[in-house]
Amino acid sequence: MASASGNDDDLTIPRAAINKMIKETLPNVRVANEARELVVSCCTEFIHLISSEANEICNKSEKKTISPEHVIQALESLGFCSYISEVKEVLQECKTVALKRRKASSRLENLGIPEEELLRQQQELFAKARQQQAELAQQEWLQMQQAAQQAQLAASATTNPVNKAGSSQDEDEEDDV
Amino acid sequence: MEELESGVAVAEPGQSLQLEAEAEAERPGSAPLPGLHHKLLRLPLSRIKGLMKADPDVSLASQEAVFAIGKATELFVEVIAKDAYTFALQGKRKTIQRKDVDNAVDATDEFAFLEGTLD
Repeated sequence: MASASGNDDDLTIPRAAINKMIKETLPNVRVANEARELVVSCCTEFIHLISSEANEICNKSEKKTISPEHVIQALESLGFCSYISEVKEVLQECKTVALKRRKASSRLENLGIPEEELLRQQQELFAKARQQQAELAQQEWLQMQQAAQQAQLAASATTNPVNKAGSSQDEDEEDDV
Repeated sequence: MEELESGVAVAEPGQSLQLEAEAEAERPGSAPLPGLHHKLLRLPLSRIKGLMKADPDVSLASQEAVFAIGKATELFVEVIAKDAYTFALQGKRKTIQRKDVDNAVDATDEFAFLEGTLD
């Protein structure tokens, strides 16, 4: 629900997000629009309240940036202690995910094998593959030739009679393969 | 105080993760929170941050702090919704009306800060 004027003070939490949360909390309950609007406004106030308190706590702590700890202290001092454990849980999940993600990236980056070695292995594999290809090609060529030979033999046997004129042709078949 | 260590920023394009949208470096070397397969928060971090900044006195906040406030706000919605529902039930209604939210605010000490909002 961004305001057209771009005035920061008109910012609110998007209505759709609030609706979703209400729906999850109270699945089969109808909620009047006016009630929803009020909840949206209350959220805005809540955020202002907590940030303001957290900010003060931060100022007192000689730190320049508001930390999650400051937020937790703010919740406590404002009477929202019951929220703290869940907030902490979620912060922890954040860290766990961040950690897993970093581990995963570094695992990819560093398999423990230096780059030159990896290159060398790659070249070896390529060379092997080329060799196999060559051998295969040669075998196929041989087979083709043999097949061609036999075909020609068969052909001359049927087309020419025993005392054939073209018998010399057979002798010219490749013996030198 | 545990700070987010700077790590490999692996933001994947096209991933609509709220946390990755907040890739502002509040402190040098801070990495955006990594992608998740499920959202940890329902509320958009950017909006929460915007709301915080609306107060000129509020200084910089770490990404985690914004996140913490976001989570607290979600809990707040849950609590106030449930409380309002209780009042609706008392009134033998199945629909939560604005006055139920009003009553919820009145009934809870911590919600005193909301008195001005009710008008």
